[in-house]
Amino acid sequence: MSQSFIIRNEERGHDLIKSDGSRSSYIAGHPDGFVTRASSFNFHEYQGGRPGFGTIRVFGDEVFHGAGCGYNMHPHHNFAICAFVFGGQLTHVNTAGEGMVDQLRAGDYYVFSAGSGGKHSELSITTEDMQAIYLWVLPEQLYLPPSYHRGHFDFRRRRNELVQLVGNADGALPIPQDLRVSRLIADKGRTFRYAPRTLGHGTYVFVREGRIGCSGTELGHRDSMGLSSVDGFDIEIIDDDSDILIVETVMIDEANIRTWESEHAGH
Amino acid sequence: MTDEPFKRLMCLGCGFSYDEALGLPEHGIAPGTRWADIPADWVCPDCGTPKHLFEMIVVGYAPGGPDLARTA
Repeated sequence: MSQSFIIRNEERGHDLIKSDGSRSSYIAGHPDGFVTRASSFNFHEYQGGRPGFGTIRVFGDEVFHGAGCGYNMHPHHNFAICAFVFGGQLTHVNTAGEGMVDQLRAGDYYVFSAGSGGKHSELSITTEDMQAIYLWVLPEQLYLPPSYHRGHFDFRRRRNELVQLVGNADGALPIPQDLRVSRLIADKGRTFRYAPRTLGHGTYVFVREGRIGCSGTELGHRDSMGLSSVDGFDIEIIDDDSDILIVETVMIDEANIRTWESEHAGH
Repeated sequence: MTDEPFKRLMCLGCGFSYDEALGLPEHGIAPGTRWADIPADWVCPDCGTPKHLFEMIVVGYAPGGPDLARTA
């Protein structure tokens, strides 16, 4: 039985987090830096929406405003965190392995699997606002060795092509989960068929720019849709230069988690 | 004592995990402490996310994972 949900742009959680007061240890760029974050799923202050989708727990559309703005050094465990940069420059300081400093620009992306533990800081050090989408994924196993990989999406050469950025395809960055992230930048009038690996895989389609028809539903700027228990669906490009991210994830035992949550309500 | 299996939980703020079987001796919580018995005002030692925003997870450990979880 196929299932779907739609999250319109304005239905997402919206946070504006300034680097002031107690927040200045979390957000860099005191006193005037601030981060804006639109969350597709429940995250931090935003708890009014869906808890996630399959192994996806965070899908955040973020902007770092002002030179020096970002997140100060902070720890993670277990989550596999991906960032896809669309504008500005992201300076990423990460303790994984021997530790490193990476700089990412439009088209660049990383997969940081925090595993047994790591810290990172993410900063925009130029005057241009940094725009990125953050994806957090539950890992296949807990306390794996931490890892960091980075890649680049060549949006001039790979136009009108579904390109797998993260997953198990040739050239895609590995992630310790049964999950694939693809990107599509395409011209109007084109139609692309997306087929998840099995009926047990759900697909989350996010329109960063443009307008598409997704399995017959029109999605505009920053609208998104989740589809599960389908063997495939069509993406029709309505606006030129539409830019779409597609996350295919194994569906985990959501019912088990929901039962537990209701039993423990109030704790 | 209850026969209910031990549960494993994960902080949705940062990925810190709590395993009832292991407890968190480093943070003063003995092995075998049930999630329900941890005070409601307890927060994630890594990121400060409150207890009620943890999620139960059914994810296995990597080789050596339980030892790493004890000292996370």
